[in-house]
Amino acid sequence: MPTCKKSEGQAIDYASKLLPPAEEDPFEQHLKDCEDCTAAVEAYRAVLELTDEAEEELVLPELALQNIEMNVYKRLAATQQEQTLLTRIRAYFANLGSPFGWYKTAAVSSMAIALIITAVLVGKPFQPQQTLQLTEAQSADARIEQYRQQGIQRNLEEALITQHLRNDTWETESQLHRMKEQAQGTNWTKVADKQLENLQSRTLNRAQRNDPSKN
Amino acid sequence: MDKLIDDELLVAQFQAGRQNAFDELMKRYKSKIFSYLLRSVRNYEDAEDITIEVFFKAYRALEGWQPKAKFSTWLYKIASNLAIDYHRAKARNPVYALEDTEIPEAHLVATDLYSDPEKQLEEKERGIIIREAVDQLSPKQKAVFMLSRYEGLQLKEVAETLDMAEGTVKIHLHRAVKRLQTLLRPLWENNEI
Repeated sequence: MPTCKKSEGQAIDYASKLLPPAEEDPFEQHLKDCEDCTAAVEAYRAVLELTDEAEEELVLPELALQNIEMNVYKRLAATQQEQTLLTRIRAYFANLGSPFGWYKTAAVSSMAIALIITAVLVGKPFQPQQTLQLTEAQSADARIEQYRQQGIQRNLEEALITQHLRNDTWETESQLHRMKEQAQGTNWTKVADKQLENLQSRTLNRAQRNDPSKN
Repeated sequence: MDKLIDDELLVAQFQAGRQNAFDELMKRYKSKIFSYLLRSVRNYEDAEDITIEVFFKAYRALEGWQPKAKFSTWLYKIASNLAIDYHRAKARNPVYALEDTEIPEAHLVATDLYSDPEKQLEEKERGIIIREAVDQLSPKQKAVFMLSRYEGLQLKEVAETLDMAEGTVKIHLHRAVKRLQTLLRPLWENNEI
C-alpha cells in the first residue's frame, strides 16, 4: 500500500478515469516521481478490470426480458380493476352515510328500473356507458393482448429458425408446445398443431430412411 | 418510433396521452434495469419481479413527473430503492434467502463447448470469487460501485439516484475499490489472477 496517503483518492480516481481534467496533468507528473502511487494506480486498475470482466459475462434471460412489457400491463390492469371496484364500494358507502342517502338510493334505483323496463320494452338492450377508469383498464388489457400475440409469433419464428438452422427436433417441438400453450383459444393453436404434425412426420421419415428394415 | 427521440420528449408524449411512448421507454430501459437489479439481487426471478415493479411504479408516477433530473436517473432511483427494500426484507427474514433460485453458473459465464474445460472451470471459479467480493461491499458502496462502473452513470447522476452528495459518492467509491483490492489480494498473491 502506498505510504503517500495524500494521493490515494486521486490514484483511485485516476484508475477509474474519474479524475477531473484539471488534476490529470499534475497527478501524472506526480506519478513519475512516486513509485507508491504508480503501484497503487496499477493495482486499482487491475481490480477494476477484473470486476468489469466478471460482470460483463452476465447473460440476461431472453424470455423474461420479452415478457416484461406484458407483465407490467398485467399488473397495471389488475390494479385498475381493483381500484374501480374500490371506488364503487367507497361511493356506495359514502352515499349510504349521507343524510339524504336513502332518498338518493331510492331515486337512482327507480330510475335504473325504469330504464331497464324501457330498454326491454323497446327491444334494445341497455348499454351502460363506460367510465374513464374502465377505458383505461381496457387500454392495459389491449396491450396485454398485443404483447401476447407478439410473444406467440416470436415463439413460432424461433421454432422455425431452430428447425431450419439447428435442425434440433427436440428444441423445435418444445418451442411449438410453448407457443401452443400461449396461444390457447386463438387460431394460432391450429398453426402449432400443423407444425407439430409436420415435424413428427419428418422425424418418422428420417427414422425410416436410417433404418430401412422398418419399412 | 425514432430512436433519436429524447426520453424526456417521450415522457411528454406519454403525459399527453400517447401510450406507445411508454412502450418505447420500456423497450429502451428494460435490459439495463434488469441487469442492474440482477447484479444487485443475484437472483433471476426476483430481478424480473422488481423490474416489473420499477416500470409499474414509473407508469403510475409518470403523469406528474417533472424533468428535474434525467428520466433514466429517475428510473434507476426507483430501481435502487426497490433493491434496498429487497435487501432489507431479505436481512429481516432469513427464510426468504432459503427460497432463492440463485443464478445458474451457465448464465454467468459464456459457454464455449470447444474451449478447454479445465480453463473454463478456472474462469468460472475466478468469476465467482470476484462477484462474491463485490457482494461483500456495504449496500451503499455496492450501489455506488455498480451504478458508476456497470451502468455508466456519471458521479452527478449516481448522486441524484442515491440521494447523496457528490463528495459522499466519491468516498463510497474509494472505499469500495479499496475493499475490493483487499478482498481480492489473496488471489493475487497466490497467482490465481
